[in-house]
Amino acid sequence: MELSESVQKGFQMLADPRSFDSNAFTLLLRAAFQSLLDAQADEAVLDLKHIDPVVLKHCHAAAATYILEAGKHRADKSTLSTYLEDCKFDRERIELFCTEYQNNKNSLEILLGSIGRSLPHITDVSWRLEYQIKTNQLHRMYRPAYLVTLSVQNTDSPSYPEISFSCSMEQLQDLVGKLKDASKSLERATQL
Amino acid sequence: MLLELSEEHKEHLAFLPQVDSAGKLNVSSDTVQHGVEGLTYLLTESSKLMISELDFQDSVFVLGFSEELNKLLLQLYLDNRKEIRTILSELAPSLPSYHNLEWRLDVQLASRSLRQQIKPAVTIKLHLNQNGDHNTKVLQTDPATLLHLVQQLEQALEEMKTNHCRRVVRNIK
Repeated sequence: MELSESVQKGFQMLADPRSFDSNAFTLLLRAAFQSLLDAQADEAVLDLKHIDPVVLKHCHAAAATYILEAGKHRADKSTLSTYLEDCKFDRERIELFCTEYQNNKNSLEILLGSIGRSLPHITDVSWRLEYQIKTNQLHRMYRPAYLVTLSVQNTDSPSYPEISFSCSMEQLQDLVGKLKDASKSLERATQL
Repeated sequence: MLLELSEEHKEHLAFLPQVDSAGKLNVSSDTVQHGVEGLTYLLTESSKLMISELDFQDSVFVLGFSEELNKLLLQLYLDNRKEIRTILSELAPSLPSYHNLEWRLDVQLASRSLRQQIKPAVTIKLHLNQNGDHNTKVLQTDPATLLHLVQQLEQALEEMKTNHCRRVVRNIK
């Protein structure tokens, strides 16, 4: 994990009981986690008004940066403790940080895992079965046909395009057969 | 159902019996063109309406051709009917149609924002045809959605076997 001097300085300030008493420390820590994981995180702000806003901002940024880096590299407790010790955190504050981190670890990993580019993702399918009788070019058709629509989610654009196509019964059987092969192969892979 | 041939059509087709078996035609190009158009119309309309052999014979009868020519026309109709209908079906408004599906199993191990992952995914290449153009779309899905897709589409296939659908297919012909 590579962390800048700014982060280290922020943590050193955070470690100092003269700048942050126990209560303030806990509040800032919780606020840092909440600001990353939760959309609404403004409860703690009110009780930290007595601290210089510049210091507050620096420490908050340092904490948030560190949390994200630790999450990204899946840091374990010993890694966290070592770094915090280097920043002159006392035992109690290290324990507090580790506990908060442990509580929020899953949400953090889900958040980090969801960031990134990927191919358009299929989210749903809808289908329609119709019986074709005639067109203006061709009478007496009398054949069933399926219309399949795949709902797709794109990471690039917020739009939700759909892919629609028609197929005969044989073609749908082919499609389903291939998808079943894929899912069987998936099942086998999970048993390896 | 009899095919209705207008006076104009009958005129155009009247040229047919004059065609010399050697192939040389001593008539104007207009007449030839009309003849061809008339023949085309006869065959495509008959194929479109899917008229029976008997109806076709009766329709052609009004043209007053020889027995031999009538038989020839009937044979022409029967031989080419299926292909003509296939071509006509492509003229209808249509959506892209399914051609093929390729799939691949992937596992994401890491990304810029998170290391040490095990995230399975299925990558799919869907081949579609539209108006002769071949189109491919590369998509992805997760295992849970894949199972959902299979389940939904199997239900779609099951529908064809229900009494309701069987009755409709049996009775509307």
